[in-house]
Amino acid sequence: MGEAIDCREAKERLTDYLKQELTAELAVEVHEHLVRCRSCFGRAKFEETLVQLLEARARKVTCPDALRERICALLRAEAERS
Amino acid sequence: MAEPSAPSVRSFDDEALPHLDALYRVALRLTGDPAQAEDLVQDTMLKAYRSWRQYRPGTNAKGWLLTILRNTFINSYRRRKLEPVAMDLEAIEPHALYRAVATADPEGSFFGQLVDEKVLEAVDALPPEFREVLVLSDVEGLRYAEIAEALQVPVGTVKSRLFRARRLLQARLYAYAVEMGYIKPREGAHG
Repeated sequence: MGEAIDCREAKERLTDYLKQELTAELAVEVHEHLVRCRSCFGRAKFEETLVQLLEARARKVTCPDALRERICALLRAEAERS
Repeated sequence: MAEPSAPSVRSFDDEALPHLDALYRVALRLTGDPAQAEDLVQDTMLKAYRSWRQYRPGTNAKGWLLTILRNTFINSYRRRKLEPVAMDLEAIEPHALYRAVATADPEGSFFGQLVDEKVLEAVDALPPEFREVLVLSDVEGLRYAEIAEALQVPVGTVKSRLFRARRLLQARLYAYAVEMGYIKPREGAHG
């Protein structure tokens, strides 16, 4: 076990932690801190919710059907040409 | 037995078409215009089809396609190169939204009140190089390394842009939430 990390370091690593971009060892250390620290846990939850909101809202946008059809037709034409 | 064969329309269709929604979403956020976004996606798909031999099967097709889309956007759809934005990020109160919400609205019901358009407007208002990282990371779920490759910048740059993008986004959503009366402005600068 490494040294326990403090709030400052937890805050610094929060984004990478939530993105699952930390090494396994560091991820454990951040996790250990979050479950013990009410303030950092709240911050982490908030950040997570914000990203989920963003993802949910932005992902409602989908490719228009007409564009999809046009692209499929274009690809078929391109395939016949080559 | 499958053997290495010439790229076929079929394999391209199977690998690329499932990502049309993602391509269109990113195109729309980059161009800010539905007609341009359609043209950009169409150009991207044609280019991708023509260079399909360069795609390594089993790697991330979504990342590969988004890289082509982004390059096409830079080269043909935008006259100005991305300039680093000089911005006083220190002037933005860090975690303003979090602090307001944490005390006033611990249940987080505030999030539910934000309408889609306002969230997307806040994204579109971000400086372009922050916006593209936020969209590729938080909306499309690309990893730091994939974004770094698509943008041809170091991973550290991706991380710092994402951090700043989120901070700006929070500041904007906070201002909007206060304006709409969803949350009360924090009194006094200290505390």
